[in-house]
Amino acid sequence: MMHICAIKIDMSSMVPYLSWFLDGALLTIGISFVTVILGCLFGFIATLAKRSRFKIFNWLATAYTQVIRGTPILLQVYLWTLGFPQIGIKIPDLLGARSGLMITVVIALAINSGAYVCEIFRSGLNAVDVGQNEAARSLGLNAHQTMRYVILPQAIKTILPALGNEFIMMIKESSMVSVVGVADVMYQQKIIQGATYRVLEPLIIIGIIYFILTTLLTSLLHLLERRLNKDAKNA
Amino acid sequence: MLKTLDLHKSFGKLEVLKGITTHIEKGEVVAVIGASGSGKSTFLRCLNLLEEPTSGEVIFKDQNLTVKDKKSFDLNKIREHIGMVFQHFNLFPNLTVLENITLAPIKVKGTNKETAQQLGLELLKKVGLEDKKDVYPSTLSGGQKQRVAIARALAMEPDVMLFDEPTSALDPEMVKEVLNVIKDLAKSGMTTVIVTHEMGFAKEVATRVLFIDEGIILEEGTPDDIFNHPKKKRTQEFLEKVM
Repeated sequence: MMHICAIKIDMSSMVPYLSWFLDGALLTIGISFVTVILGCLFGFIATLAKRSRFKIFNWLATAYTQVIRGTPILLQVYLWTLGFPQIGIKIPDLLGARSGLMITVVIALAINSGAYVCEIFRSGLNAVDVGQNEAARSLGLNAHQTMRYVILPQAIKTILPALGNEFIMMIKESSMVSVVGVADVMYQQKIIQGATYRVLEPLIIIGIIYFILTTLLTSLLHLLERRLNKDAKNA
Repeated sequence: MLKTLDLHKSFGKLEVLKGITTHIEKGEVVAVIGASGSGKSTFLRCLNLLEEPTSGEVIFKDQNLTVKDKKSFDLNKIREHIGMVFQHFNLFPNLTVLENITLAPIKVKGTNKETAQQLGLELLKKVGLEDKKDVYPSTLSGGQKQRVAIARALAMEPDVMLFDEPTSALDPEMVKEVLNVIKDLAKSGMTTVIVTHEMGFAKEVATRVLFIDEGIILEEGTPDDIFNHPKKKRTQEFLEKVM
């Protein structure tokens, strides 16, 4: 036990609740992971739409990324969980109690993430020198082969680290779901706060949990980046 | 073999090519010279439709490449027969030197890997870079990169080779090694179109020289005609500046 400016910090008071924190942390990891996977899918579709020959798809994809990136993620979570059910748009609890809510927040986060992932894909593809495309096409490779054998392998080097950052962002931003009652690690903190009348201790613990999660992920990404950079960058 | 008819190309309001008509015959070595911004690179890039001409025709063998109905022929098939070498090499940095050379034969022509590699090694020998087959392009010098790029284009066994200022991005001491490779190639009978600032090279190797100025062929003829007896004032001025 220690005293700082007359505030008592007693970390031992948190011991009985460690499994609650753990449950919350696992849910945070799960939500973030599924969100990033789905976000990649949405982002991929949006990227295809942006590169499509058809103006309507370009327009839709641009509207999507602009609206999502131009509004707060908290607003989007509220809209999906509280707003849309008012006009009958609601995902039913098909997979047990509160599963509808869980799916709804994951969709809200994934749609948000997809807009950012789309930008990551776009800038990654644009970062490949236009001469690469010209060289491949002049050899007779078609657009599809050029993308697969020449452009993508190079773009992936800029895309993967940025996607990793998006995953890290999502671990932190998924804390938004606590406001609508999803029991992630942020939500557990509030519950434990209520149960123990202690504010600082649970905050410190979830801070450490978020920090450990993001740090682990960061070092994992560094490892991956180093492997990708083994063959040097420019021709 | 390769014909253009009244070729025009505009970028927005800027008209770069203002009607170029020429016929490149099999076995010819055509040097295209002219000031920067005169349209010579654009002309070359129109020949394999890297740039879509605004109007006019490009005809390769008997195929009109500028027909309205793009689906009536396979442009990729045509490009297999037109090799191109770029100013900035454009080697694929994600592939080794040998993979750079074998990619198109394997994926486009469907050549089996062993045959493609054998051909690749032969070509690398020809450009003097056999020992570099397994390295990545980033470890090569500019001259070496360009020689690999030439080998890569040759691996498709093209009927004509286009060179877009192949030595302009090179350090001076590396220009010769690349020009020698191109010279050997031209001497072996490869139909060649080369946009270049190397007047000595054009004089020595070309069978015909095109002087492009402000988007038209202002003057053309044998190297002797152009370099020793230029008729147009602009040609004379240009040659005085560069030689």
